[in-house]
Amino acid sequence: MGGPPSGDQNDKSKDQKKEKPKYEPPPPTTRVGRRKRRAAAGPDAASKLPTVFPNARCKLKLLRMERIKDHLLLEEEFVHNQEQLRRNKGEKGGLEQRQEEERSRVDDMRGSPMGVGNLEEMIDDDHAIVSSATGPEYYVSIMSFVDKDLLEPGCSVLLHHKSVSIVGVLTEESDPLISVMKLDKAPTESYADIGGLETQIQEVREAVELPLLHPELYEEMGIKPPKGVILYGAPGTGKTLLAKAVANQTSATFLRIVGSELIQKYLGDGPRLCRQIFQVAAEHAPSIVFIDEIDAIGTKRYDSTSGGEREVQRTMLELLNQLDGFDDRGDVKVIMATNKIETLDPALIRPGRIDRKILFENPDQNTKRKIFTLHTSKMSLSSDVELEEFINQKDDLSGADIKAICTEAGLLALRERRMRVQMADFRSARERVLKTKSEGEPEGLYL
Amino acid sequence: MVKEDDKSAKLDKGKGKAVDTPDKKDVDPSKPTTEKSSNGAKKGKKDEPQEEELSEEDQQLKSELEMLVERLKEPDTELYKPALEAIKNFIRTSTSSMTAVPKPLKFLRSHYPSMTELYEKWPTGPNKIALADVLSVLGMTYSDENTLDSLKYRLLAPTEDLGSWGHEYVRHLALELGAEYASRSEKEADTKDLTDLGLALVPFFLKHNAEADAVDLLLELEIIEKLPDFVDENTYQRVGLYMVSMVPLLSPPDDKTTLETAHSIYRRYNKLAQAIILAIRLNDLDLIQEDFDATDDEVLKKQLAFLVSRQQIWLQTPDEEISNCLNNARLSEYFAALGKELNILDPKTPEDIYKSHLESSRGGPGGTVDSAKQNLANSFVNSFINAGFGSDKLMLVEDESTSWVYKNKDLGMLSATASIGMLHQWNVETGLSIIDKYMYAAEDHIKAGAALAIGILNSGVRTDTDPAMALLCDEAYLDSKSPHIRVSAIMGLGLAYAGSQRVDLLDLLLPIVSDTSLSMHVSAMAALSLGLMFVGSSNGDITSTILQTLMERDDSQLKDKWGRFLALGLALLFIGRQEDADATLETLKAIEHPIAKHTEVLVDACAYAGTGNVLKFQSMLHLCNEHIDSSEDEKKDDDLFQSYAVIGLALIAMGEDIGAEMALRQFGHLMHYGDGVIRKTVPLAMGLLSASNPQIKVYDTLSRYSHDNDIDVAINAIFAMGLVGAGTNNARLAQLLRQLASYYHRDPNSLFMVRIAQGLVHMGKGTLSVNPFHTDRSVLSRVATAGLVTVLISLVDAKSFVLDSAHYLLYFLVTAMHPRFLITLDENLQPLPVNVRVGQAVDVVGQAGRPKTITGWQTQNTPVLLAYGERAELEDDEYISLSNTLEGLVILKKNPNWGGRD
Repeated sequence: MGGPPSGDQNDKSKDQKKEKPKYEPPPPTTRVGRRKRRAAAGPDAASKLPTVFPNARCKLKLLRMERIKDHLLLEEEFVHNQEQLRRNKGEKGGLEQRQEEERSRVDDMRGSPMGVGNLEEMIDDDHAIVSSATGPEYYVSIMSFVDKDLLEPGCSVLLHHKSVSIVGVLTEESDPLISVMKLDKAPTESYADIGGLETQIQEVREAVELPLLHPELYEEMGIKPPKGVILYGAPGTGKTLLAKAVANQTSATFLRIVGSELIQKYLGDGPRLCRQIFQVAAEHAPSIVFIDEIDAIGTKRYDSTSGGEREVQRTMLELLNQLDGFDDRGDVKVIMATNKIETLDPALIRPGRIDRKILFENPDQNTKRKIFTLHTSKMSLSSDVELEEFINQKDDLSGADIKAICTEAGLLALRERRMRVQMADFRSARERVLKTKSEGEPEGLYL
Repeated sequence: MVKEDDKSAKLDKGKGKAVDTPDKKDVDPSKPTTEKSSNGAKKGKKDEPQEEELSEEDQQLKSELEMLVERLKEPDTELYKPALEAIKNFIRTSTSSMTAVPKPLKFLRSHYPSMTELYEKWPTGPNKIALADVLSVLGMTYSDENTLDSLKYRLLAPTEDLGSWGHEYVRHLALELGAEYASRSEKEADTKDLTDLGLALVPFFLKHNAEADAVDLLLELEIIEKLPDFVDENTYQRVGLYMVSMVPLLSPPDDKTTLETAHSIYRRYNKLAQAIILAIRLNDLDLIQEDFDATDDEVLKKQLAFLVSRQQIWLQTPDEEISNCLNNARLSEYFAALGKELNILDPKTPEDIYKSHLESSRGGPGGTVDSAKQNLANSFVNSFINAGFGSDKLMLVEDESTSWVYKNKDLGMLSATASIGMLHQWNVETGLSIIDKYMYAAEDHIKAGAALAIGILNSGVRTDTDPAMALLCDEAYLDSKSPHIRVSAIMGLGLAYAGSQRVDLLDLLLPIVSDTSLSMHVSAMAALSLGLMFVGSSNGDITSTILQTLMERDDSQLKDKWGRFLALGLALLFIGRQEDADATLETLKAIEHPIAKHTEVLVDACAYAGTGNVLKFQSMLHLCNEHIDSSEDEKKDDDLFQSYAVIGLALIAMGEDIGAEMALRQFGHLMHYGDGVIRKTVPLAMGLLSASNPQIKVYDTLSRYSHDNDIDVAINAIFAMGLVGAGTNNARLAQLLRQLASYYHRDPNSLFMVRIAQGLVHMGKGTLSVNPFHTDRSVLSRVATAGLVTVLISLVDAKSFVLDSAHYLLYFLVTAMHPRFLITLDENLQPLPVNVRVGQAVDVVGQAGRPKTITGWQTQNTPVLLAYGERAELEDDEYISLSNTLEGLVILKKNPNWGGRD
């Protein structure tokens, strides 16, 4: 940057100026070849609206917002008027036609088909080294109509099919893998479908939803809203269900991944994916990232000789950085779920990364009743069914077990082609479920 | 809340219910099961969750509340009171989660209409009032937006204890109050009851950390002036801060009353330093004097004097020491101390700044550089970079024969001589003795330069002996036959007494303005000087004289290029005066010559300078809408007012951060759609908007414009780059300018401008600022604005002024130049080095607690330099600062409670 090359360019553009007085020397691009942040300076930053403080709800904020609105209206008015004038003039001078012509000329210059290549290195302001998919690298020129602010090493560029010069930039889209994770269709489960768990729901809403909806409440109190929560507890206690309900309820972007998805075949892919997830989340802020089964990558670090093991740990380190690293992530909230919180790395769940740890316990009697009524409400029960019997029994039932009992009872009734589920069905269903449950636990064998 | 033993009872009760529900469903077995299941599913989705979600406690609560409401409906009046009390109790004790409506309110919802009916039926009495009380709270959650039930019932139930219903309720009430007041004042109905209630709410807000709400409410009710009675020493700082930051966004007259209220709050708590700053903002001389006289503390008085002198308001005081402070008499001394501390006393040559060895000079030595222009540029750059240090390597050398002055020609000599004034700026005595020998030089140009130098030298400082007055009013100067000497003397007076409002000078200069036999040049400059001296005073005599001149002068004279300074002189009188300019604007409409229209725009823009007024912004923008064809010679300069309008946009927007940022966007559109006359002014406006505040996005854009096809645009963009970086030593800008120097090495005009810009960037070796806002960016210095606008107006048509022979107009920048230092002084005004933290200022308005006011700070030892948007705070409590903002000259007092460093 600077020094001889730019002087070279300046002189050249001056010469060109003499030949063709119409030619505008391209503005000196200063950041060429340097990776820049999306929100950094440049034309984008100039068109960004100023941020409004304070966050508290007060007249000052209102006035400031209104001021921005007023100015935007003025801008609109001005641009509208000018466009109108221009159009009136254009009808006489054929301005639009000329624009059309110019556009088609640019299209001609681009040619078709265009190849897609990778920008390897910027040499100077109008030359670069690109590599094409087939392998060889070329030293090519950059067409003057390419927006040089968008060029950065590593980005995908469009190449002319013969001269291989750069004719366009493909704005970098993140990995298609991630767009899959974005939730387009909200799950059907809502908070109403959760039996009990009132305190857990409240905690999650306070930590995740409220900061996105009403940041000013936290500002008024003078605290930073929590960044993330971890849901933990025995299997089948409704951790994922709650996350689904959050996704159902919120209007924020909801990204869901499973911890094991972050483990990739190639070295460095896992951390990259992790970075990209959070990048997408930041771009679509406000957003919620839900990582299920975090213990897949979040286990305690230990000395390992296996490369795969180390890769998993590196993925977790990237996650640590994304959660509370150097850059502020802004309006991105994280929900994690696991049933083995004790195996997690302490760094992962320290306050600041995960501010709230929400325990999901097996339901107590009250909750059991709620879960039972919830699941049986849509079943056709015969009049002799007395659910209180199961509720009062001291079985260690989780929410999932209860659901299993109900389903099992339904299945049993179906086997006998009855249209009603009877008490007997429930009893045997319970036996079966409890039996299969304890079967998985071999410790009794050795006692 | 619910107690343990209750729970078991409820459990039993709930159990019965849970069993009941499935039973009920099975009651109608007649329906086919398939249909039923689908029906059930649907039901389960829509209705049942609401019903079934109720836990036992909720059920209990609900039934109890229902029972209480039923009791109210019964005829037994005895029971009313306890029932109401019980309901109140339920509402008050319900601790809700943040995410939901409190449960008692939820359950009472269905009864709200019947309760309102009940209210109508009941006879008046304490019970009715109590019911209204409850209804008012319930109204918060149920009523429609426009019925304002909460307020209605609150007014029907007078009570003192509003706070007991909780914060949310009080806030809601305040909201409805505002709405009701607005609708009533539209109908001009009585609002006494509303204001009374409002005043009852204010103490609650103030007590509960919601100062913003208190101020908002009073503003809505238009009784902000009552606020000082409510604040106490814990809240007044936050209230004051909030109010002050609101001011630029309010429409007049609210802004003025708010400022006045804030002022009286500060006065009440004896924060004179803060109060006097607000008085300065109000531009109320009596108020300033009153604040100034309010203390007997000598030291504090000196501090106040420093604050007043920063704005260059000339107050009179008998005490010699204090009047020294008021006169800025020791500014030069302190500046030298700063230079010594920073080790930058060694003079620099222009070449040190250009660093031409770093310029890539392609094309060999073939470039035909206009050496006269180069020398001229060197004179300017030399004066800018060594400004105020009193030593350089060009002008003030011992050897007389090789003096730099004689290396210039004609008017170049004038500017070269005048640069001595800038080199010795503020240091009147030394400067005068050096200039003295040039006063008797043979050449007129040198004499003229000496006159201007005296003016520059005295700019911003005052001495009792009035040397500028004595020397320049001499017949040999002010009435000189040579127009150059005369004009220089006039300009010198203007610069030396900028903002002074001296009546004796008025008598001297007014005849020059009104004398139509004099050339336009002389008259216009006299008008400009008067404008500078009486800046922002809306002085009637000068206004009428200038208007008179505009009417009397021939059309051909008005067409003179200098005519615009006549208009500018008029405009400067009205800087920040807002409506005061209306009468003048009306008069101007009566003048037919196109200059009237230009003047009108200029006056209007100046009158609203720094206010951020959106309506004015809009009207300026409308002026830019037209596309005027000024290609014919006849109509030349007819579109000048568009240039003024663009500068006006910047002038108006610069008072307030959001407006300024939005204006930058607007300039992008203007650049896109505008004609040449608009395009060439846009860079200047951008420069004005962020003077001495190099933001990347601004100078990036400017550097793009500096390669524009239209050379006028490019030249102005280059100057704007200099202005944006003025006195910052910004390395990026310096590099960009070096690139431009090699790009334009064949174009003498552009190169001249690049050199000037380089000089500006390194102004005072990086210790000065030309930003017109000072004291924590809150006060607009009218004198500085006037100087900046003068230079910008001259650059609108750079080819006929600065690039032609009137380059000396650049010296008008001197009024805006001020050191951006922080020097801490002890009580005897001796520099006192202490540690301060310097960092980026943070907007802490409306934040909870005591947030840090700066971020990313570094600890430094005073004296220090403060860049734009930086703030300083004392590192520890050893000293107490007498001024609230650590900027400029600050007096420190020993803290009596200081416990020592541990």
